[in-house]
Amino acid sequence: MAGSRTMRWREIPPLGRLPMLIFGMISLLTAVLGGLARLAVDVPAFAQHQAGVHGALMIAGFFGTVISLERAVALHRFWPYLAPLCAGLGGVVLLTPAPGLSPILFCLSGGIFLAASGLVYRQMPAVFTFTLGLGAAGLLLGNVVWLLQAEIGLAMPFWMTFLVLTIAGERLELTRFLPPNPTGRRIFIGVLGLIVIAAGLMIFAVPYATQLLAAGWLILACWLLRYDIARRTVKQSGLTRFVAVCLLAGYGWLAVGGALGLAGAFEPGHPWRDSALHAIFLGFVFSMVIGHAAIIFPAVMRVKIPYHPFFYLPLAALQLSLGLRVVGNLGDGWALRQSGALLNALSLALFVLTILISVIRGASNQKAHA
Amino acid sequence: MSLPTSLPTPEQLRNTLRSVVDPEVGVNIVDLGLVYQVDVSLAAVKVLLTMTSPACPLSDLVMADAESALRAVVPETIPVNIELVWSPPWEPSMMSDKARENLGW
Repeated sequence: MAGSRTMRWREIPPLGRLPMLIFGMISLLTAVLGGLARLAVDVPAFAQHQAGVHGALMIAGFFGTVISLERAVALHRFWPYLAPLCAGLGGVVLLTPAPGLSPILFCLSGGIFLAASGLVYRQMPAVFTFTLGLGAAGLLLGNVVWLLQAEIGLAMPFWMTFLVLTIAGERLELTRFLPPNPTGRRIFIGVLGLIVIAAGLMIFAVPYATQLLAAGWLILACWLLRYDIARRTVKQSGLTRFVAVCLLAGYGWLAVGGALGLAGAFEPGHPWRDSALHAIFLGFVFSMVIGHAAIIFPAVMRVKIPYHPFFYLPLAALQLSLGLRVVGNLGDGWALRQSGALLNALSLALFVLTILISVIRGASNQKAHA
Repeated sequence: MSLPTSLPTPEQLRNTLRSVVDPEVGVNIVDLGLVYQVDVSLAAVKVLLTMTSPACPLSDLVMADAESALRAVVPETIPVNIELVWSPPWEPSMMSDKARENLGW
């Protein structure tokens, strides 16, 4: 029955989405290994060569693929799927002898993703859909900067904006279930203004711009801790509570990253940069990914992922190992930072394993019920 | 002519749809106000559903879950049609009193 609906909307069926997801996973794996290579951990040669493009693989490759895939699934149309396809290919091409094509594919993907986000806004003009659009613009700008500059340092703040605003927009949407709060709304719009100014400044004065961006993240973290439904849903049980715990932990990390960035740590060469960036990307973004995988993955791939308290294990592992890494970095303890990063990678591996086992559990549950 | 007793009423089907829960909020789609219309006839069961956001990838899954929940109680000979609609756009006032109370209204 799902098939007949799929046909009517001319969209890609779940099995057709699998190659894009696999491309995305290749980017994720290579990005993680390349990141470890930067911290002098022994990794396979293919990944060692990718140490310099760790950020591009992770954000333009992995997140560019999965987030634009998620949006394509939501839109029930064919053309938005070209965004995850190009991003997935861009990540894989980066591993071939002709990596030059990769930034072009990423730009193409970013452009299609921005158009898809524009369609979302047209379907429902609202502050939250506008925020999602700004996030998409962040991805495209980051990809264009990387294409023109071949320099990840300047692309990074835009890529960060892509992920943080995408999450913030989705969280803002969910606050509509709560009684309206005009003050909260005004603060949110104020933060959006600040981010846009920071992004504009990025061309003229990078240090001030990244500090302004960090101030935006810090205010946003406080906003999310105060106004998000997670504060309420954490009192529920099962998956709903687990998602809320992931989010609240993530908001804490967003605040840490924002505070470090305010001290200048988003700038290339800053000794705390590792902590500042990974507080945002691992602490905030990946906590949110861990929380939502059991909701989004079934929606995208049409498999069941039954909740299990075991889900807390990869989450806890990520929090603790990131804590170690940050303490190691800020306290100038190289070995601690390196071990923390290695444990970060293992936490992500544990997370992927948890999802795979859950998919198998879900399938066998279904068989038992049939 | 009255409907055969085996045909469920729209109200019964709404109750059936309460088994489909938005995992993020922990509230079912009926109390969230996402079920706009349930029509029952011998020709078909027709349900109009909405989502709170056009960027939400869950719509397919929610519709599939709603369909399998309804299939379990609707006689096999009657097709179940679930349609995703965006008009009128969802508003918080569409939530049930119970859901609003739970969410602090």
